[in-house]
Amino acid sequence: MPGKLGYFFIILSFIASLFSAFAYFRSANTEDSDLEGSRSWLKMARGSFIIHTVSVLGIFTALYYIISNHLFEYNYAYAHSSKALPMEYLLSCFWEGSEGSFMLWAFWNSMLGLVVMARGKKLESRAMSIIALVQVAIATTLLGLYFGDTINIGSSPFILLRDKMQAAPIFADPDYLSKYIQDGNGLNVSLQNYWMVIHPPVLFLGFASTLIPFAYCIAALWKGDYQLFVKPTLAWSLFSGGVLGLGIMMGGAWAYESLNFGGYWAWDPVENASLVPWLTLVAGLHTLLIYKATKRSIIFTFILLLLTHLLIWYSTFLTRTGILGDTSVHAFTGEGSSLTYHLLAIIGVLLLISIGLMWKRWKAMPRIKKEEEASSREFWMFIGSFVLLLSAIQISISTSIPVWSPLAKWITGKDVAPPVEPVQHYNSIQIWVVMVVALLSATILYFKFVKTSVKAAFRSLLVTFIISAAFTALVGITQKIEIGPYFLLLFASCYAIVANLYYAFAIQKARLKLIGAPIAHLGFGLMLLGILLSSYNKEVISWNTTGESIGLKGKDMKQTLKENRENIMMFKDVPVAMADYMATFKGDSTSETDPRLFYRVDYERIDTTTNEVVERFTLYPDLIKPKNSESFTANPASKHYLTRDIFTYINQASNSKLKDAYTKYTVHKGDSIFLTGGYMVFNGFIPNAQNEKYVPVQGDVSVAANLTIFNMKGKVKDIAPIYYIRDQREYSVEDTFAVMNMQTRFSKILPDEGAAEIEIRQETPDFIVLKAMVFPYINVLWLGVVVMVIGFLISMFYRNSQKEAKTRSAE
Amino acid sequence: MKKTQIVLLVLVAVAIAVITGMFSDFSTYETFASAAETPGKSYHVIGFLQKDKPMDANDPNRFIFYAKDKSGATTKVIFKGGKPMDIEKSEQIVMKGFIDNGEFHCTGIQMKCPSKYKKDQVVGDMG
Repeated sequence: MPGKLGYFFIILSFIASLFSAFAYFRSANTEDSDLEGSRSWLKMARGSFIIHTVSVLGIFTALYYIISNHLFEYNYAYAHSSKALPMEYLLSCFWEGSEGSFMLWAFWNSMLGLVVMARGKKLESRAMSIIALVQVAIATTLLGLYFGDTINIGSSPFILLRDKMQAAPIFADPDYLSKYIQDGNGLNVSLQNYWMVIHPPVLFLGFASTLIPFAYCIAALWKGDYQLFVKPTLAWSLFSGGVLGLGIMMGGAWAYESLNFGGYWAWDPVENASLVPWLTLVAGLHTLLIYKATKRSIIFTFILLLLTHLLIWYSTFLTRTGILGDTSVHAFTGEGSSLTYHLLAIIGVLLLISIGLMWKRWKAMPRIKKEEEASSREFWMFIGSFVLLLSAIQISISTSIPVWSPLAKWITGKDVAPPVEPVQHYNSIQIWVVMVVALLSATILYFKFVKTSVKAAFRSLLVTFIISAAFTALVGITQKIEIGPYFLLLFASCYAIVANLYYAFAIQKARLKLIGAPIAHLGFGLMLLGILLSSYNKEVISWNTTGESIGLKGKDMKQTLKENRENIMMFKDVPVAMADYMATFKGDSTSETDPRLFYRVDYERIDTTTNEVVERFTLYPDLIKPKNSESFTANPASKHYLTRDIFTYINQASNSKLKDAYTKYTVHKGDSIFLTGGYMVFNGFIPNAQNEKYVPVQGDVSVAANLTIFNMKGKVKDIAPIYYIRDQREYSVEDTFAVMNMQTRFSKILPDEGAAEIEIRQETPDFIVLKAMVFPYINVLWLGVVVMVIGFLISMFYRNSQKEAKTRSAE
Repeated sequence: MKKTQIVLLVLVAVAIAVITGMFSDFSTYETFASAAETPGKSYHVIGFLQKDKPMDANDPNRFIFYAKDKSGATTKVIFKGGKPMDIEKSEQIVMKGFIDNGEFHCTGIQMKCPSKYKKDQVVGDMG
């Protein structure tokens, strides 16, 4: 029943948005010729957009009802939630699935649409017809219309489990629900994190907000009116830049806290896919400022802001269709080819509208013949925007490898894969981009639009330059930043910080409405500084020194030591040194009901002179074993200081449940089996075997496996577990090796292969393998994000209130 | 020519140079045999864990196993890192690394896990 209601709302939202788009379109097209007709179309359009918004809320409510009441007959609830899920994560279930994310997107679009409806004035009909049209597009992804077995349009979140998996025999039983489907699959454990409750809504608000500048640009091109759109587009772009930026970095914070790649940014395709539109958005925002002040760069502004929203759809295409395949850590499960074509069709339509209108207006768009001054703000701002676009292009090409590699294979015959070292690949290029952008972001504000009095600007710049140079030297020396490009980047970020602070407080006297831009730029500078300090001096402190590893044939110890040894093995209650700390693994939590296993690790910092413990803390990194899965996921634990973080996670742990189990190996003569603390080699069979535990009887067929055990130093012992057949039944006699707490069975003989099946059980002491890192000054990065977002918002309010003032005076 | 145009032209030229240059950064998908043609050069190899062959996970910083590539050839793989949790359950693994002395030295492993609702896992050279 809630499903039927929900589905009804999907249909209603689709029809209402379709009608709203049409009515807004009619209203926009008749507003010059038939004002009365246009008014009535407008009323109908508004009404149906409101109905659409209500239905979107209805879809949400219905799905929330299904999830929170654990109605597992619905596939969505079954696939993404479970009874044990804490209340606060019920919302996260929404965005685990593709349909829920589209719903979230539709929700924000409709909310923002209401604002545009209320405040759009003359632009409302045109902008809203685009917004409603995009809502139609999103609604189609939820329709779930099936044509035959293979073709479908969209997929509904209200589909029943029994319809989703028709082939499964359990559904033949009318009581399948009470008998078989007791609980859902549960939410992916890495999403069970508070960041995952708020990161997706903010990110999707960022995605949705790019639609508004897009719609206003289309509205401007539609009638060739390049005046009215400027102020609302500027305010919305600032909003979007702040929110999208915040959303992206919240994703970084989530990755830092709950994924174990050890960082906040890995240049993963999914991260890149949302960064690229932010870059083009910020570029477009700046060229729009140029246009507002000087009437230049209108074409470039349109290209950038239209592209931004198209790139949001492209990023949806990359992350949702499974096309990234092997290249991404967190690409969502592929929805199959139907979604691929569906999204391509939507991108195609939006692209056609954009290109068509640009084409139509190309010649008539305002251009200024006169050349700009090299001392003007617009000149350098334009260059900065262009550099951002180039950066976006580079990231897009590398991220899109799985998209274009079939073409490359067809041409060159090579199967192109992403770079082996992705972080290095992007960093080595983008470091120059951020350097240029940071320098420009600081310098530009000292330049005035059209023409600057070079002398005055130069004086201020000289002061800031000297302060930043001193600041750079100080940080560079204390933090030991010695590699050329990184030192330059350090200067660029220090300069961005100093110059923008100076501008905001010394020149603009901290007048709120004037300091949006320098505050946002300051935040950018702080982010860069935080990124540089935390990654340049990122230090692994968990070097393996316990000597528990074994040397391998052909590898001497020297060679072994040279390799990366960043994971440390910790046995229970045995303290190990980690940088300034002594760390001790104290045991794990063993709860039958909790899917999370916490490992307690105590840290003590001992003063080297007094030998007293000066600091003591405990971290609980954990492993999570999701329902219906045998796998564990590691969840890091960090100790936060103001100036650094100690970040730890579990790589491996002894599994108390596996202790009693035998592991089975099939070995041929000469094969080796690796053990804890050594290895064993199978030398072959010994016929007619016997020992003290086995005395043959008449008619027995017996054979022993000749096994030699080696440890780090060499041969330790020969053992011979026996396999025999008596009265046509198989038996085996174990052999044990007490030093290694090991029992060995010869459980089967495979005469065709000449192979033996050996089962081994080895008891090991409790241990964990831990990796620990220090991220210095990572809080500078988070501070920078907050400052930048505040800067965006200050600018937005300023631009917004400025608009109010202008209109009032005009009326 | 306008100053802006000159600067843009320079920027575009630099960008083209950088972007063409970066193509050499891109790796390719190979088999063990084709990766062995240039020992020491890193590639991506898609393969499958040989579950019946021995695995050595004694060293927390090195994991040794055998993998079969798509052409069916089996090679010893030395991964510089701890044993990825539950690699036994993977359906497919993508290994990054190079051939040296007939052994595949692996710097990163990405596992495809059978569960539909479990994300793929990456270990190795992230961040």
